[in-house]
Amino acid sequence: MNGLTAASFGVEFVPGDLFWRTTYYAVQAEKLGFNRIWITDHFNNRNVYVTLALVSTYTSQIGLGPGVTNPYLVHPVMTAQAVASLNEMAPGRIACGIGAGDRTTLDMVGVEQKKPLSAIREAVEIIRGLTSGSGAEFQGEVFRITKGARFRFRVDNPIPIYIGAQGPRMLALAAEVGDGVLINASHPRDIEEAVQHVRKGAEASGKGPKDLAVVAYTSFSVAEDPVRAREAVTPVVAYIVAGCPEVVLSRHGILFVNATKIRDAIVSGKFKDAFSSVTDEMVEAFSISGTPDVCVEKVGRLFKTGVTELVTGSPIGPRIRRSMNLIGSEVIPNFKEGT
Amino acid sequence: MSLREVAGRIPVSLREIAAERMTDLILNSKNAGRIPSDLAKTILYYWQRDQLASEVGLEALVKAAVTAEPEKTVTLFAEQLGLKELVVMLQG
Repeated sequence: MNGLTAASFGVEFVPGDLFWRTTYYAVQAEKLGFNRIWITDHFNNRNVYVTLALVSTYTSQIGLGPGVTNPYLVHPVMTAQAVASLNEMAPGRIACGIGAGDRTTLDMVGVEQKKPLSAIREAVEIIRGLTSGSGAEFQGEVFRITKGARFRFRVDNPIPIYIGAQGPRMLALAAEVGDGVLINASHPRDIEEAVQHVRKGAEASGKGPKDLAVVAYTSFSVAEDPVRAREAVTPVVAYIVAGCPEVVLSRHGILFVNATKIRDAIVSGKFKDAFSSVTDEMVEAFSISGTPDVCVEKVGRLFKTGVTELVTGSPIGPRIRRSMNLIGSEVIPNFKEGT
Repeated sequence: MSLREVAGRIPVSLREIAAERMTDLILNSKNAGRIPSDLAKTILYYWQRDQLASEVGLEALVKAAVTAEPEKTVTLFAEQLGLKELVVMLQG
């Protein structure tokens, strides 16, 4: 499973913060026993690869990767080049996370999210071809690469490709062509549903359970005071609910009209209204939030669904340093072998 | 008097807690952008090596704390660490 143990923990950092603060937390993550750091890739934050390069120089063992990039804003040959370069700085520690991108963000810069399934399938083939040295001559629906498109340097380690997926077809595709699937969900019901599609995709391509990492990419907030944990996660949950398909909302008994209310408030810049409309049911459905004991119980439920890695994603908690220490001392030890 | 001397005068028994408190101060500061890049990298260097509570590590943290949050740093030394005698040096 790409060198990860049966119960691996990743952490997501958003490089919207100062470079050194993100790097401080990355070093902390390594010290606390996290297995991988995912850095988000959005044009309006600091650059993901600059951040990863710096993080790689201050860490020595923890896995690193973009979590996730997309093939629309960054051409797959450039993604391949970036992860291959990082692999030279941190040999064997790099994974490439890629997904179809966020439509709202792509709209901002006038980029069409066309043929997302084909785009991901082709991007994976190109990245894998270039980083494995086999070349990337390719004629696809979205991308075309000529025979001469090769690196002028060698990549010594295989770079696993993880695919961010939500819908049934993308989940199945991710399992078929990826080394890992990043499932954007925090509740066992959503993960169980996703894992079914992942298994179908894996079976179709002849992969066994150990050939594929299945990652729950959660919205996580831990604090000794559950009220503070909830306050920290509320804005994140508001955005998740606002963009959530009706079928997923109804799975959790959340009315579409309430999600629409939150979305309308966000779109019109009334964030206070949006955040105050977030209910306890929404927080429960779309985050892992609470005291360390509560988080341990929820994480345990997720690992029972078949996921092999859990990512503690934004916001992590009201104070990142403190919350990471809580995860490292009171959550992770419950899921490591021999504990 | 230099901030190196301030760091050097923090009693050994208080070094760990001083490093922790100053780290929290700069990580949570809204003025952390004032901390020069080289100083931030020095802090990362010592953090990576678990040496923020050493004299040189504390010196870097004191510099960063005073740069980002001068008043809160004074309060931290005077009230939380009980090191009122160092406050004059911090303000100098």
